[in-house]
Amino acid sequence: MTPNESISPVIAEFNGVSFRYKIGTDVLKDLHFSLAPGSFHFLTGESGAGKTSLLSLLYMDHLPTKGRVRLFGQTVDSLKRSEKAQIRRQIGVVFQDYRLLNHLNAFDNVALPLRIIGEKESDIRKHVTELLAWVGLEKQMRAYPEELSGGEQQRVAIARAVIHKPSLLLADEPTGNVDDAMAQRLLYLFLELNKLGTTIVVATHNEGLIQKFGFPRLHLHGGQVHLTIPRNSDISKLTKGEKNGQ
Amino acid sequence: MANKNAFLFADETTRFYFPWIFLLMVFIGTLLCGSGLFVYNCLNRWQQGVSESLTIQINTYDDNGVFRAEAVNEDIEKALSIIRTTPGVREANVLDENQMGELMAPWIGADVNLMDLPLPKLIDVAIDPKNPPFLEQLKMDLSIQVPNASLDSHRIWLTQLVKLSHRILQLIGIILILIIFTVVFTVSYTTRASLKIQEPIIRLVHMMGAKDFYITTKYAWRSLKRSLIGGFLGFCCAAPILVALIYCFEGMSDSIFTTGIYMEQWLFLAGYPLLMSFIAFITTFKSVLGYLKRFI
Repeated sequence: MTPNESISPVIAEFNGVSFRYKIGTDVLKDLHFSLAPGSFHFLTGESGAGKTSLLSLLYMDHLPTKGRVRLFGQTVDSLKRSEKAQIRRQIGVVFQDYRLLNHLNAFDNVALPLRIIGEKESDIRKHVTELLAWVGLEKQMRAYPEELSGGEQQRVAIARAVIHKPSLLLADEPTGNVDDAMAQRLLYLFLELNKLGTTIVVATHNEGLIQKFGFPRLHLHGGQVHLTIPRNSDISKLTKGEKNGQ
Repeated sequence: MANKNAFLFADETTRFYFPWIFLLMVFIGTLLCGSGLFVYNCLNRWQQGVSESLTIQINTYDDNGVFRAEAVNEDIEKALSIIRTTPGVREANVLDENQMGELMAPWIGADVNLMDLPLPKLIDVAIDPKNPPFLEQLKMDLSIQVPNASLDSHRIWLTQLVKLSHRILQLIGIILILIIFTVVFTVSYTTRASLKIQEPIIRLVHMMGAKDFYITTKYAWRSLKRSLIGGFLGFCCAAPILVALIYCFEGMSDSIFTTGIYMEQWLFLAGYPLLMSFIAFITTFKSVLGYLKRFI
């Protein structure tokens, strides 16, 4: 499903969601929030506040220990494995540690999501080449991750997350290893995707970017999520719950 | 650009062991299977031979060790007339000295004068295997009319040989089953070792929306390819050895090991590496599918 074809009223919905790892206390406690189609949120919070955990619930790497997560209108718990795979194909993830495959070059790393969905090789070549050029890596297409700098690896990871035009893009500190100019350039890429209808959640500590782009902020503190909507935010993109300040 | 299917498989040591394991398993299995078929063919041939012939012995010396001379010829005539009138008998011939010499040569050598030995006269009887004579009746008739004659259906020594052959075939069967179990265990173990090494990659592609069937078939096809290579080489190593062994056995005696392995049985043997590869494919498929269940 392309972003514009999404028929779900919300992309993601958390109802009383708590989460804990096998050992320890709840990392997330009784979360209630939703993401409207085409919305853009920054996810903030101190280190260890649960940003990565929350993102992992969104891409179904974990299931909530309590409560219900709905993605694209479907309750995650009740999905069959093949249905979960289908939903995951609508999600792009930029990992904090990139998770590039070291035995593949930049081109093949970025091509991975397209190969999984069975895209034609000729189309893959065209799209991947274009996107890598866009993120400034046209000369490093054949380079392996170990030959790339941290910033270059991050750009490859971002390209891989967006190559299949996901309906939901989750980015965990995507600008952590790039300079401000590149950080802004990457944010503009996310913005372009967002304009095409992609719902975006960016976990970041970069206050400058948050201030500059002015999107709503989901702030995690003490396992709870608090929504902050900047004055200049485009209210039309927010969900009903967000409008009511939930 | 890398192979478009290579993304799941980073360098790993198991890829070197896999074909070698199969080479060894198929090599041993083919030799065993081939030996089993050879024994089976010999067994059939022996049983067929027994069902088609009888031997009648007529003693040439009496109980006191005195040569019976002309009485022997009378006994032979009587015995022949009884046998030839028995339903189910096709042909009956007295073995001449040359035939006796050939028969005894493996035990006493070719240069011995048979006249010096207290050998009985032998009558070779060809019978209809579909409609064999009633042996008990024939024995009784011979014992009454020709007391110095005895009927040998060859079954006493053959029964022991058949029992031994059956034991050999059972043993081969058990070893082949053990080989299959070993293959299943080895494939399962190497697959799990490989999956453990590749877990971060599998987790990543799973997260990107790769379905279980997609990941599983990639592994299973790779396993099939490697096992086919190993199996083919194993068969190629075993086949000439098997041919040489059969040739040696046939050279040992021209009477009991002349059957060899038939062409269709060679085709069956060639199917053995394919069977093992199929087992590898299914085992890998099930192992990977089971492993993937740990991911949500």
